[in-house]
Amino acid sequence: MPMTCLNDIQIQALADGEGHDAERTHAGSCAACAERLRQRRLLMSGIHDRLNAPIAVPAPIARRVDEIFRLNAEATGSDRGATRLRADARGFSRGSRSVRLQAEGTRRLAYSGVAVAAATLVAVLVIVPMVKGPTTVSASEILAKSASQLAAPIASGVEFLEYELTLDGVPREIMPDQGDGVYRVVQVIDHGVPGRFHFASFAPGGAQLTAIAEDPAAARRVMAMRIDGQPYRFELSLPPNPMFSEPELQRMHMQATVAMMQASGNQHMQVIDAPEGRQYRIDVPSVSGTAPAAVWDLNEAHAVIDAGDYHIVEFAVKGAFLREPYSMSYRLIRREVKTSAGVPSGAFEVPLEPGAIVIHGEGSPIAPRDALVAALRELARARQGR
Amino acid sequence: MEARSIASDTARELFQAHGAAVYRFLAVLLRHHQDAEDCVQETFLKLLRHLEAGGETSNARGWLFTVAAHAARDRQRRRSRWIPFLPAHAAPVLPAQLPDEDGRLKIARDALRQLTARDRLLLALRAQGLSYRDIAAAARIRPASVGRLLARAVDRWATNLRKDGNAYDVLERHSNPGAR
Repeated sequence: MPMTCLNDIQIQALADGEGHDAERTHAGSCAACAERLRQRRLLMSGIHDRLNAPIAVPAPIARRVDEIFRLNAEATGSDRGATRLRADARGFSRGSRSVRLQAEGTRRLAYSGVAVAAATLVAVLVIVPMVKGPTTVSASEILAKSASQLAAPIASGVEFLEYELTLDGVPREIMPDQGDGVYRVVQVIDHGVPGRFHFASFAPGGAQLTAIAEDPAAARRVMAMRIDGQPYRFELSLPPNPMFSEPELQRMHMQATVAMMQASGNQHMQVIDAPEGRQYRIDVPSVSGTAPAAVWDLNEAHAVIDAGDYHIVEFAVKGAFLREPYSMSYRLIRREVKTSAGVPSGAFEVPLEPGAIVIHGEGSPIAPRDALVAALRELARARQGR
Repeated sequence: MEARSIASDTARELFQAHGAAVYRFLAVLLRHHQDAEDCVQETFLKLLRHLEAGGETSNARGWLFTVAAHAARDRQRRRSRWIPFLPAHAAPVLPAQLPDEDGRLKIARDALRQLTARDRLLLALRAQGLSYRDIAAAARIRPASVGRLLARAVDRWATNLRKDGNAYDVLERHSNPGAR
């Protein structure tokens, strides 16, 4: 039975090499359809010609991709004990994108500042150079600028920060002196004297909960805390050349997290015209799934960044550390930088609370451990003295 | 351990074989070539993870274009949330010129811009030689619909070319080889 002439869809399919034999046979025997097919093939050839302009992959992107392959191959022999920032392989199969700091091996608890520093370095060295200068500004670029600002803190003067900090499940390895809850935190950081600072946290009612102050010039660290209503005060000698001070650790944690947000490639950004000026709110939506060996997962985050100088106004993360879920939010209440001359004399002193039990001892780079060791020694002395 | 090294080598070979085509495809689809570059990287990073996980590679080209198409779509959606450039945001890096040796890519992008996103995607995928089955996967449409939607997209493309005064130069060049 002779076939009726082909419709446009059948002609298109034949031009694309997808038609059926019967249609092909018909086009071979029907002059009208053959001409239509010829015209369509020419059109398709033209499309192919135009959309396949002779351009190669630009050299920078070729290098970037090749670097990814090379680093991936090199990781083969050094996996064990390594800490690395990597794209989440499982995230791909689920259609999500998360970035994970993953460590394998047995030395997970040695993480702390070293891993944060490693993540920061990877993020700054690998992620930030990927951000170019396009004709629009992206969430990624704003995060990059903010991370850069965190990486280049104030070089002189005394910085006063007051913020509200909400912690839930935050591991002691990240923030050793804070438990879960809502705090008002005051920080005084002397940028002219590295390592000199005074941090204090207060309950919503205003009572001081914890405080820590260090002064490298006086080789002194003072910590104060309240347990079951009893104030304790630890006065410790400061070890020479501590690895990182508390402000550095906190800054690096925030910086690494910002960099991880940037690397997620899945940010949403809003522009907010706040009374204080224009701000950017950047959200990294929640992603699911954690790998069994993950040390640090960032699952969800948002940051509000000042559009003027890119300092962080508000910051919240949810994730898991050592497979334990945690969340942390930070809201800046006050920030000012003064010259040393304008700083009150007691700004770096932890006030002595009435009735405080004062314990003296030697300090190490790990402040919470020092408190424990000093307290145990004091307990042993008390028993021996009985 | 060994698998990761093999995956890297395989991914590198596939990048050499298909990287330029994927880049051309993305450069046509996306307005900013920086986005195209980022999507190329994203696509091949996903390929690496796919290979490490022992994923299927019998139709690597189709897989790559599917992932690239999805990356482009995600990127376009995000772009719609971006804000206009302000001088305060100026970075000291000028955008590189799009490598377009004979201007064809610009003409193609101009013509494509007048089409819907789906039409653009279908034409760009077909121009890369993908089968209807692979086009269906990449564009997330039913395989049986590809021919019909593609035919309409091609018609609209031709109409736009006529409207822009570029009418039939392609046809003329092909029907008169001496003119090329």
